[in-house]
Amino acid sequence: MVHAAGLTGRRPGYVELHAHSAYSFLDGASLPEELAARAAELGYDAFALTDHDGVSGSLEFAHAANHFGVRPITGAEVTVETGHGPAHVTLLCESQRGYANLCRVLTHVHAGTRPPGRESREPLPAATTLETLERHAEGLVCLSGCARHGLAVVDANAAARLARAFAGAFYVELQRPYARGDARRNATLAELAATLRVPTVATGDVHAHHPRRLRLQDALVAIRCRTSLDGCERERRGNHESVLLDPATTAERLPPDAVARTREVADRCAFDLTQELGYRYPDFSDGADPADARLRRLCEQRFAERYRPSNAAARARLDEELALIGRLGLAGFFLLHWEVLELARECALEVRGPGSPRHALPPGRGRGSSVGSVVCYLTGLSHVDPVEAGLSLGRFINDEMAAVPDVDLDFPRDIREKLIVRVTERYGREHAALVASFATYRSRGAIRDVGKALGLPAAELERLARVTDGWDATRVAEELERVPGRHDGPRWAAFRELTREIAGLPRHISQHPGGMVVSSRPLVDLVPVQPAAMAGRQICQWDKDSCGDAGFLKIDLLGLGMLSAVEDCVDRIARERGETIDLSRVPLDDPAVYAEIQAADTVGVFQIESRAQMQSLLRTRPENLDDLTVQVALVRPGPIQGKAVHPYIEHRQRRREDPAFEPPVEHESLREALRDTLGVVVFQDQVLDVAMASAGFSIGEAEGLRRAMSRKRSEEAIEAYRPRFVEGCRANAIDEQTANAIYDKLVGFAGFGFPKSHAAAFALLAYQSAWLRRTYPAEFLCALLNAQPMGFYPPASLVRDAQRRGVEVLPPHVNRSEAACSLEEGAVRIGLGFVQSVGEADAEAVAGGQPYTDLGDLARRAATRSGVLEALVSAGACDEWGPRRQLLWRLGVTARGRPAGDGNRQLALPLEPTAEVPELPEQTEWERMLADYRHTSVSVGVHPLELLRPHLAASVLTTVELAGAPHGARVELAGLAVARQRPATANGVVFMLLEDEHGQANLIVAPPVYERHRGLVRGEPLLLAAGRLERRDRNVNLVVDRLESLGPLARRAASEAEVTRALPKAHHFGHR
Amino acid sequence: MVAHTGSARSARAARRLNARPLNQPRPALVEAHADGTPRRINRRQVAVLREEWRVVDRWWTEEPVARRYFDVVLETGENAVVYHDGAWFTQRA
Repeated sequence: MVHAAGLTGRRPGYVELHAHSAYSFLDGASLPEELAARAAELGYDAFALTDHDGVSGSLEFAHAANHFGVRPITGAEVTVETGHGPAHVTLLCESQRGYANLCRVLTHVHAGTRPPGRESREPLPAATTLETLERHAEGLVCLSGCARHGLAVVDANAAARLARAFAGAFYVELQRPYARGDARRNATLAELAATLRVPTVATGDVHAHHPRRLRLQDALVAIRCRTSLDGCERERRGNHESVLLDPATTAERLPPDAVARTREVADRCAFDLTQELGYRYPDFSDGADPADARLRRLCEQRFAERYRPSNAAARARLDEELALIGRLGLAGFFLLHWEVLELARECALEVRGPGSPRHALPPGRGRGSSVGSVVCYLTGLSHVDPVEAGLSLGRFINDEMAAVPDVDLDFPRDIREKLIVRVTERYGREHAALVASFATYRSRGAIRDVGKALGLPAAELERLARVTDGWDATRVAEELERVPGRHDGPRWAAFRELTREIAGLPRHISQHPGGMVVSSRPLVDLVPVQPAAMAGRQICQWDKDSCGDAGFLKIDLLGLGMLSAVEDCVDRIARERGETIDLSRVPLDDPAVYAEIQAADTVGVFQIESRAQMQSLLRTRPENLDDLTVQVALVRPGPIQGKAVHPYIEHRQRRREDPAFEPPVEHESLREALRDTLGVVVFQDQVLDVAMASAGFSIGEAEGLRRAMSRKRSEEAIEAYRPRFVEGCRANAIDEQTANAIYDKLVGFAGFGFPKSHAAAFALLAYQSAWLRRTYPAEFLCALLNAQPMGFYPPASLVRDAQRRGVEVLPPHVNRSEAACSLEEGAVRIGLGFVQSVGEADAEAVAGGQPYTDLGDLARRAATRSGVLEALVSAGACDEWGPRRQLLWRLGVTARGRPAGDGNRQLALPLEPTAEVPELPEQTEWERMLADYRHTSVSVGVHPLELLRPHLAASVLTTVELAGAPHGARVELAGLAVARQRPATANGVVFMLLEDEHGQANLIVAPPVYERHRGLVRGEPLLLAAGRLERRDRNVNLVVDRLESLGPLARRAASEAEVTRALPKAHHFGHR
Repeated sequence: MVAHTGSARSARAARRLNARPLNQPRPALVEAHADGTPRRINRRQVAVLREEWRVVDRWWTEEPVARRYFDVVLETGENAVVYHDGAWFTQRA
């Protein structure tokens, strides 16, 4: 810890009591840590963070400030509605009670921002009332607000009211922003203070920690006002004085008595957010039975159902876990999760409906390290038997753990939607909320927002945004150099500077995918809660890191597309075939399923469908669920960066050839820890195992190391463990060089890997989805299409793959399609909802009115928005009534029903159009195919390459011919780009999947080729790739050295200009 | 608000319109203290420095503005506003 005040040797007179960080969202240009570090550097010994209407950065600031030896003061600048419009007051916390009041005030500030029925729209301005402030004055110090919008400036009578309410804790705030009129305003404010008999206090209204961020602050104001810098002169501050200055300089600018009082206020604001929160989760301690006894009773009941009494291993494991849980006082934690799962069961029953074939499925599944716990298995939190699967518990809970463990639960999306609201209702809106997440500036957002603020040409910005490479906005200037055209002058210079400065700053608050916090003390006393952009949901103002720092129990209720698909699939199998599938009883060793997996025939299969997984599958050839568990965890950034993938594949091949092969390890002490993964680190748990085995770490130390790895901004924390690790290794006779090498391997692995238990849970779902895909291909495709968006492939590729495997897919049909995709005599019928611009409600409305006798009947009766019928005709859903062009003509002159205002529909008179339909040319095959793609994103008919093939040179191979070409051959291949992957771990190499009428092929595009053809790689759907064929084991790749667009050729062949735009865009993964 | 900058472009525009820009800044002869505050303006002593304010604006254009403004009362009892932007100018308040 650095002691800032100690540097100067005396307490400075001035304490900053009014500062904004970037968590004021577009009105603050520095991160809380940057403010804390700079405050320490300038010699502040205490410092208040007062963001607009929130404390999102406060805990982060408090920890950082403590680290730098600056005492953090928690507060916020709150917007309050007055008779003269909105005004600001600065609230600072004296005590825990004051902080609770601040949280309640801030909760009230946001309460009305998303009124019912318009949750997803732009939030209304946030503001509280004077009455609310008066009711929550205890424990708070109130300053009268900033120079421009402060309460004392806007409405002196309102200030007088608060001076009474905050008796003895109300100060009139004096600032010196070097704006014209400062002297007069401060004189008026001093007079007001004298009249009210309250003291004045000086503040700085800081918006940047360093002068280099001041231009950014101007730009942020423009972004907030959605205009350019030129267009927001009134809103900007007009100069660059809102920077953090040293205490002495600030003190010189303001009246000495007001400066001296900053110390008085700082001294009374003794509340420490890092120490005094007082959080407790509902731990069932108030029930008749102790929580321990309840948990044991629950487990014993289920134990009898799941295990034979003679199963000594399971019995010992249960006893051991219950004892550990008892020692850690975590019984309530497990009961809470169990209760959430019971709520999920209720939600599942409602969503699935009575008698649903989905009843045999659990409402959700565990993932993550909790799958290693038998208590989780017995309470339904996990569906994998950890005793049988040999999963360890240490990563989940151990005797030395300092924080509550994580339990992650996956649910089908429909159940999760309901459950989130149900949990909030069960524990009360004051006790439960979703965790927040902050959208931070990356390249594209920075380019668009900063560029617009600077008034740069929109087309140029869009061009740059399209070719920008990564997530990292600090590299935008570099990327700009590669874009053709002149980018000079002060605006572009500022653009280069500001995109770098804005990188990583939070832009707005949004909701975490599924993390919920529940508290026995009202949550609104601990952190402000505000409505989310979805009905019934609310978020707290802290992200997962701050919630973790606060010791909050976070329950992850995650939506998993594949679970939705599996449920839908089981449901359809039951309806279509009358077969009830209990997935928990599906044989886990079906050789036919493994044969497909080993042949990488896995398009649409959970977790093992990506291009990288397929290439790996061909070499690892999984034979059972254990192999699949490794497989699922192997192709992840952790094992890749930890350089585990190739050694694993190589060891596996050698083991296949020689079952006695023993894989090498860095040191003999690691052999047991790495036995299952053939000498390499694949699972997160192995980080713990290796640290314990080689360096003698205790389980708690090892878990601390793993946690350091999984947090953002953690490099320093990870390195802090190195000396202890090397020292521990030395005690085990491992030399320093080897110890460092092992540590580097662990650091390389970092947090981006799965725990084994998580991989086991995912492997099971991967197998189950592969089994469904093989056994019920039509139902599986149908379910996959209905669960979109999900997975690696666009729907068009899923359809082509299923067609190649013999599934018949039918186009949308206005009389036969349901709203979603459905089954029709064994074939998959594309749903009406798949047609672009036909919403769910429209699709339901059209399907509800079936059958329609003709187009006139449809137009008269279908209660849809305008444009929907045109979209249905264009997509081919009305083809049975005639050619699409004629139908569109007729639709234009057909009378339609009108909404009658009360939800009903006034039918049009059944008058036939009198005008004759003129002679219109028939659509060509090209036009129909393109219209299908354009309007449904899939085409069940001809593949574009089939139409293009006659126009290609004979030397251009098909994917079938490519598979038979020799290693090293120079080849040309044409196809539709399906997926593009630029993994962060591949040093700039781009992997692409090209699809033709026969199948798919892998392309490898090295960085120089990518740089040459960047536009084609990133945006062209039809490509001709030339290069050298590379065969490695069973993998076939085309190493590309030249790319060409087939767009011009296709446009000529199709006689249509819009070919490229109509075709589906490749899915992109990894860095851009 | 950024007062008129008196740029070449605006002067050209004014000529085109056959108009005289309002509140055009005029060069001033100013003697300043060490801290940059004016002591004498156009040979007249500054009696009271009423206020100082600062304007930093248009930094993203070819004509950035970075000025220290001073509102003063001269020994003659006259009010004056001067600013320093590399050179000294007077401008009507």
